[in-house]
Amino acid sequence: MSAPPQALPIAGDLDATWNFIKPGLEFILGAQGDQGVTSKIYMNCYTAVYNYCTNKTRSSTLSQTSTRMGLEKTTYTLTGGEIYGKLEDYLKEYVQSLHPENNEPFLEFYVRKWKRFTIGARYLNNVFDYMNRYWVLKERSDGHRNIFDINNLALVQWKNHLFTPNLDRIRAEIFGLIERQRNNEIVDTNIISVAVKSMVYLGLDVNDLKKPNLLVYATCFETQFIEVTAEYYRKESQSFLSQHGVKDYMIKCEKRLPEEIIRANNYLEERSRKLLHITLRKVLIEDHAQEMYDQYLKLLEENGTEHIHRMFVLFADLPEGLDTLAARLESHIKIEAAKELEELKLSTESLEASSEDKTARKRPQVAVNPKAYIYALVNIYDKFSRVLVDCFNRDPRFIKSLDAACKHFFNINAIAVPTPKSASKTPELLARYADAFLKATTKEVETETHVADNLKLVLRYVENKDEFENHYRRLLAKRLINGNTRSDELEEGILQKLQDKNSLEYTSKITKMFEDMKSSETLKQRVKEVIGPNSVVGDFNPLILASSMWPFVHNEEYTLNIPPELQSTLNSVEAEYTNSHSERNLQWLWNHGKNEVKANLARKGKPPFIFTVSNVQLMILLAFNKSSTYSFGALHQIVGVAQNVFEAHLLPFVKFKLIEQDPPSQSLSDPNSSLTIVNEYKSKKLKVNFVSSIKNEQKQEEDETSKEIEESRKNYLTASIVRIMKARKTRQHNELINEVLLQAQSRFKAKLIDIKRAIEYLVEKEYLARVEGGSYEYLA
Amino acid sequence: MTKVIIISSDDERFPVDIETASKSLLIKNMIADLKPDLGDGDDEDFEIPTPNVRANVLSKVLEWCEHYKNTVFSDEDDEDARKSGGIDSWDRNFLKVDQEMLYEITLAANYLNIRQLLDTGCKIIAEMIKHKSPEELRKTFNIVNDFSPEEEAAIRKENEWAEDR
Repeated sequence: MSAPPQALPIAGDLDATWNFIKPGLEFILGAQGDQGVTSKIYMNCYTAVYNYCTNKTRSSTLSQTSTRMGLEKTTYTLTGGEIYGKLEDYLKEYVQSLHPENNEPFLEFYVRKWKRFTIGARYLNNVFDYMNRYWVLKERSDGHRNIFDINNLALVQWKNHLFTPNLDRIRAEIFGLIERQRNNEIVDTNIISVAVKSMVYLGLDVNDLKKPNLLVYATCFETQFIEVTAEYYRKESQSFLSQHGVKDYMIKCEKRLPEEIIRANNYLEERSRKLLHITLRKVLIEDHAQEMYDQYLKLLEENGTEHIHRMFVLFADLPEGLDTLAARLESHIKIEAAKELEELKLSTESLEASSEDKTARKRPQVAVNPKAYIYALVNIYDKFSRVLVDCFNRDPRFIKSLDAACKHFFNINAIAVPTPKSASKTPELLARYADAFLKATTKEVETETHVADNLKLVLRYVENKDEFENHYRRLLAKRLINGNTRSDELEEGILQKLQDKNSLEYTSKITKMFEDMKSSETLKQRVKEVIGPNSVVGDFNPLILASSMWPFVHNEEYTLNIPPELQSTLNSVEAEYTNSHSERNLQWLWNHGKNEVKANLARKGKPPFIFTVSNVQLMILLAFNKSSTYSFGALHQIVGVAQNVFEAHLLPFVKFKLIEQDPPSQSLSDPNSSLTIVNEYKSKKLKVNFVSSIKNEQKQEEDETSKEIEESRKNYLTASIVRIMKARKTRQHNELINEVLLQAQSRFKAKLIDIKRAIEYLVEKEYLARVEGGSYEYLA
Repeated sequence: MTKVIIISSDDERFPVDIETASKSLLIKNMIADLKPDLGDGDDEDFEIPTPNVRANVLSKVLEWCEHYKNTVFSDEDDEDARKSGGIDSWDRNFLKVDQEMLYEITLAANYLNIRQLLDTGCKIIAEMIKHKSPEELRKTFNIVNDFSPEEEAAIRKENEWAEDR
């Protein structure tokens, strides 16, 4: 090999210049083996190109004719085209001369030569920099898009004369390597990534050489790569699934997906990653979604947390998939809940049937233990909350499923709704659960927080919160007047935790109830002073209750005849009260309250009995102070009250043999028999309670409750309609109904007919007027 | 400290820092191509011949490079901004040389691809043309008037609109 000539060629001589730089080019491209390019070769080539391009004599002769008169002002010509043409031809020939060595796989050859060629092209670009700066720039700005800077000129030759003719071979070998890699063989990944990257470099935008262009990559590689990948994994997933089943398949996917993605990131362009991801997801997950759904319920049933979670993760990018899983979870929870509550119901029934006598059978509904019921609800909720955490990362979709399911089964289940038409018992049972905890006699060891949490949770899903509130208030009222709340702190604590934004009116009532209790305490002290220590009445505890705040109504059936020995005490209470609160109307609620009576009916030498009795019962007993025998009619007349009430209160005495009927009769009111009090009462216990066995007044109370609820709902609806109409002035019928429904939602599920009735009522009262087109107008 | 030795066409050697030499984009690229690790170790000094630049011109050019060796010029591709920018007073002072030297420095800047120096040189030459009559220009640049009086009159008439009146 001859050394390049030392002296620079004459500037204007094309052939001399070309011959001078050509040996340098061979060094630069590595055509003569890699001997290294010296700074001298580099600078000489640059200088020769510079001299050729700046040669004045050539450029002036070329442009002389056109610039002679200075009229064609914009036309000037730069030198460079001839050298550019020679370089282009040289590069083409050089690229075409490249061939693999013996037995060298084509792809390896391609990559080896590409690596060297791109280095050479970059050198060339710098060596021909002067041409790039002026001649190429001018040509391109004159619109000659087929002229490139030297680096790209070299790449274009490579693309046209080496890459494109061999594309099929190159691609087949790349895919071959990728498949071997997927089969877990060890391959030289660098070859793959360099070959793929070469396609990125070969894509150039002829209009803007600086703009990256992935056209070659996309058309020559990406499309086919995605096809090949889909095909590969389609086959693999089908055979794997049929051999190993869904659980193992999911484990496989969990491993395979990131593996493939990490691998592909080594050679894929950013833009293909998403496409690859979508493809894999489609082939591996979407196409097998049905098989997985089919296993899903089974996995839920057997609590296969790990597998469910895996399924959730695999479906994570598939919104439809997650929706399906979430919807199926909801129905699964409903079914599970229904099953468990049915079981609870059955076990309660069988317990009652075996332990109690037949009276239990006669009752129309099963008296399930409120606590057991509430626990069952909470447990189901807890169980699936854990599933949400363990399997579904608390994804909002699945939270929604649980909420929807709870809203259903908390209200509707075998226990809450024993027959299809009855209203849900959940609010009442919930209130009873709280009552059991708050009663003084309770043996509950639950903590306050735990109970409050349970209340809040169940209440969140209870449709008719107003029913709960009503029952709760009733039970609270009973606890208060019977003096058997566990403690004021507990009451307040629970109450505070139950408060939310909608319960202001409700809690204000309860607060007033507590206030009444306190002020009654002061009254009691004063009455005590007035009646003095020598009265028959040892300890009197009168309660003054504001009738609008307490869930009690005055009942005519209970109108009593007060015997003289009590009259003075009651008078003094009334006097004492009206003294400080004139113009208030006092009514005695004889159907509430309890008395303790000392009864000297014990055997000689034994302490007297203490009977706990109702007000009516007290009057009955007091009558026997005067005479030991009465006819039913006479006794009834002395006591007063309605006959059914009288009988109900009398019955326990007869039943527990304090009063004897003579002769015994089927009917207490038999005019042929008389009632006599025993001389000596026999009981193992010193304290005897006759109140608890008074025949249930439940039916009446239930009626009262539902009446009160109905009333308050009517008020609520009316108020809410007025509120809406006041703000809107006019409203379409349907719009109004919907708004009312929405407002009521937080308290109860309003019935359409009730809303219509409320509207009707307001129209009648001239708060609203009907106007044309089925609308209403607010009348101020 | 590794030096780059720039050799002028008349074989004078100018040892300079890599930063100084790199003000020439040509040299900077060449170092990146041929000796990318130059300066990392105790390499031998790297010789770069510049067959088109004489020693007296090269020394001036390298003086400019030395002055600006720590200045980072923005890669302003906006032609208008480059053209309209003023001339730095140090540059103006630096280029207070005879006309021949000014041309040679400007040409060398073009050859070595030192854009800021090329721009400055061209601006100073442009100032020499500005506000001068054809006669003055002929005198300044030593140009012989080869127009016939008729030709000259015709050109003047055509360009009457541009006359500064």
